[in-house]
Amino acid sequence: MKILNVYRSEPDETTKKLIEIVTRDREKDDFFLNVDNPDYDLLVEKIFAADQTISWW
Amino acid sequence: MAKSLGIFVTTKESLPHVLGITKAAKAKGSSVKVFFTWIATHASKDPLFPELCELADDVSICVDSYRKQGYDMNDIPIGLTAKKMATQAQHGIIIEDFDCYLSL
Amino acid sequence: MSFKKVCFMYRHKDYAVDGIRSALGLAVENMYSYGVVMDNELASLDENTQESIEMLRDMEGEIFSTIPANVENLGLASITLEELGEKLREMTHVIPYGLK
Repeated sequence: MKILNVYRSEPDETTKKLIEIVTRDREKDDFFLNVDNPDYDLLVEKIFAADQTISWW
Repeated sequence: MAKSLGIFVTTKESLPHVLGITKAAKAKGSSVKVFFTWIATHASKDPLFPELCELADDVSICVDSYRKQGYDMNDIPIGLTAKKMATQAQHGIIIEDFDCYLSL
Repeated sequence: MSFKKVCFMYRHKDYAVDGIRSALGLAVENMYSYGVVMDNELASLDENTQESIEMLRDMEGEIFSTIPANVENLGLASITLEELGEKLREMTHVIPYGLK
């Protein structure tokens, strides 16, 4: 099970805690959308490679 | 064959990301369906919205949300047709029928 | 056939009520659908939203809250952040809804 965490803003303690539990003993990847000029091509590749994508607030 | 991608949009601020991701996914040969709900239906008035409708395989909005956000349901946004003024069932289709799911 | 399991999370007051309606929308599509009100105490729920929650419960869904006042005043089911994290592990789709 591979989880891709997408961040729409800087993750706070609540988000970090949920991610810690959700990804426990699972493969994970990250992508930050809250940057100038996100690499959408890379994001789509990561989405296709993941079993589940979660786009955090 | 590229995986299909469904995007559920709940924030109007995400429209540039939706467009960028749709462009990238289409370039990989993916089929892309986008559904906007609640406050995100304001994005249907953004100049980027018709471009998204051209690019994606299917774009629809929640008509009930659109009405509650103060719009006339007969005022169909550029790029959409009356049939695309839809219900939450579109979200169900994204979840059931598409390989990959993204909420923004 | 395996049923989808979906959990919405609402951290901003302006998105909670419609997010509950979205959760109901998936329950009627034969999915296990849950919502969680986080961070904010909601003053009240209008009649339509209360009806949505009842219908959701009839379809084995639930609206939870991590905020004790929402459990006491609005009758939402109680959940801690840790319990929510564990619940999310069982979901096929996790939806951080709206803004925070």
